[in-house]
Amino acid sequence: MNAKSPPLDLNKRGTLTEDAGLSTAPIPLEPYRSASFYEQERDRVFKRAWLLMARVEELPEAGSYVVKDVPPCKVSVLITRNKNDKIQAFYNTCSHRGSKLTSENQGKKGRFVCPYHQWTYSNEGDLIGIPDQANFFDVDKKKCGLTPIATDTWEGWVFINLQPEPEVTLERFLGPMKDYMANFKYPGASNPVVFTAKLDANWKVVSDAFIETYHIPCIHPQTIGTTFSSKLNPHARLLDARTLGPHQAVSMFGNADYTLDPKNKAEMLGHSGGEAGSVIAAANKEKAAEFIAHPAVNPTSSNYWSMDVNLIFPHIHIDCGPGGFWTHYFWPLSPNTSFYEGRFYMEPAETIRGRFLQEMYISRVADVILEDLVNVARTQEGIDTGGKQFMQLQDSEFGIRHSTTQIIKWVESDTVEEALS
Amino acid sequence: MTIKATTKLLPDGYEALEPYVAKWAKDSSAERMTERATSSMEDIQAFYDAILPLADEAMNLIDNYPIDDMPEDIACLCKLVLALPQVAMAVELHGQPRLPNTPYPHGIELLRGTPPFG
Repeated sequence: MNAKSPPLDLNKRGTLTEDAGLSTAPIPLEPYRSASFYEQERDRVFKRAWLLMARVEELPEAGSYVVKDVPPCKVSVLITRNKNDKIQAFYNTCSHRGSKLTSENQGKKGRFVCPYHQWTYSNEGDLIGIPDQANFFDVDKKKCGLTPIATDTWEGWVFINLQPEPEVTLERFLGPMKDYMANFKYPGASNPVVFTAKLDANWKVVSDAFIETYHIPCIHPQTIGTTFSSKLNPHARLLDARTLGPHQAVSMFGNADYTLDPKNKAEMLGHSGGEAGSVIAAANKEKAAEFIAHPAVNPTSSNYWSMDVNLIFPHIHIDCGPGGFWTHYFWPLSPNTSFYEGRFYMEPAETIRGRFLQEMYISRVADVILEDLVNVARTQEGIDTGGKQFMQLQDSEFGIRHSTTQIIKWVESDTVEEALS
Repeated sequence: MTIKATTKLLPDGYEALEPYVAKWAKDSSAERMTERATSSMEDIQAFYDAILPLADEAMNLIDNYPIDDMPEDIACLCKLVLALPQVAMAVELHGQPRLPNTPYPHGIELLRGTPPFG
């Protein structure tokens, strides 16, 4: 990005919303506050969709395991990599009296011992030990392994499906997203900086806040406002947005004129001499260059690009920027609370100056999350009054329109195939 | 990481930063975040004013050592340098320790950082 960038004319195209064949009607707010909708969403979306849970790098070798929660369904999931490198998820529940098996979040183990009565399982889910087995009544060890959960992987992402027999394969669920994001070379995938927060807002309010840029000049003027908007595009209109089945990809404007402000002395130091750069990047330049060469990163090849949000239905954003990628998980906890996890991936620094820039980035990300945390709580408070039945969405809020429309469609569909049609 | 024991807290030429070691030389990003959020603006400004003019030279010095194998005094200086981004958010962006109009404690947790001293 530099002064030679060609002029930007977002008025030359039609609206993204209409070009994608989406309705332009207002979107109902009931799904953002209703207890009965919340229950349907849990049963018809989170218990039927393939859910992205982890990256394979979290399970680096045979014997690695992680434990992840699906909070709306109250399911604790134990995901293991066995000696044959098979990644498999199980209910983290002992077959004896149903106790939670392991309380650790990650590690390396060949076997899992329930702390209650020491029933022991292999990392392939087989029950291999029952203390005082002779005192039981014909207990069949072969039938008492851990209960498996349907598991599959795509491009290094681990998915589960809580249906005992998933209605559709992961491939069918991913649809056009499968090829759109194929062969990404994710930089720093083994080294995420991880933030979590409990938020006083419906999970969709939070996801919505992270998929539109219309709010950025208003809510984030100090932290990232000048990165996403300029006189050329004062309201941070989107560069592009496309639906990919229930998933979608949204490409955001970046301010090509953005330069470091000399009053931000610490930031200048990190860039050693004031070399301009985005405040939302913190990565090894060569690896980042390989990453952004992918056609689905900055899909319109714009000189005015800041980042892309790739929404993996229902609740994951895989975001791509000039410095690499990061993910947001939005988990429902109740109709008006949610659990957020942000994973910001970066190559471990090779120099202190590189590490210093990462610390700048981490400090800024924390404040951006804090700005959003306050904003989503205020949004939820307004929604919960019941004074409004619909929200009015503009073209830059394409992402909200598509994701909420898809959630409603899944809730109203009797089969997954119907929801995907 | 192995940290070789040294007799001095900080390398030669950085004695002026010694009064700030106890408060600002933290092992992780999460601790630095908490320290900034719970400090007075006077303390933040004093540390910022002390470290800023020395940070560039300090980084040149630190880069003479392997990033995963620093002597103790260099590691201590490194931790101080890594506290500058946090205090800079307060001094350069907000003019106060925390982001304006936000609650504290806020429930945001930094669970995992990036090495070294993340």
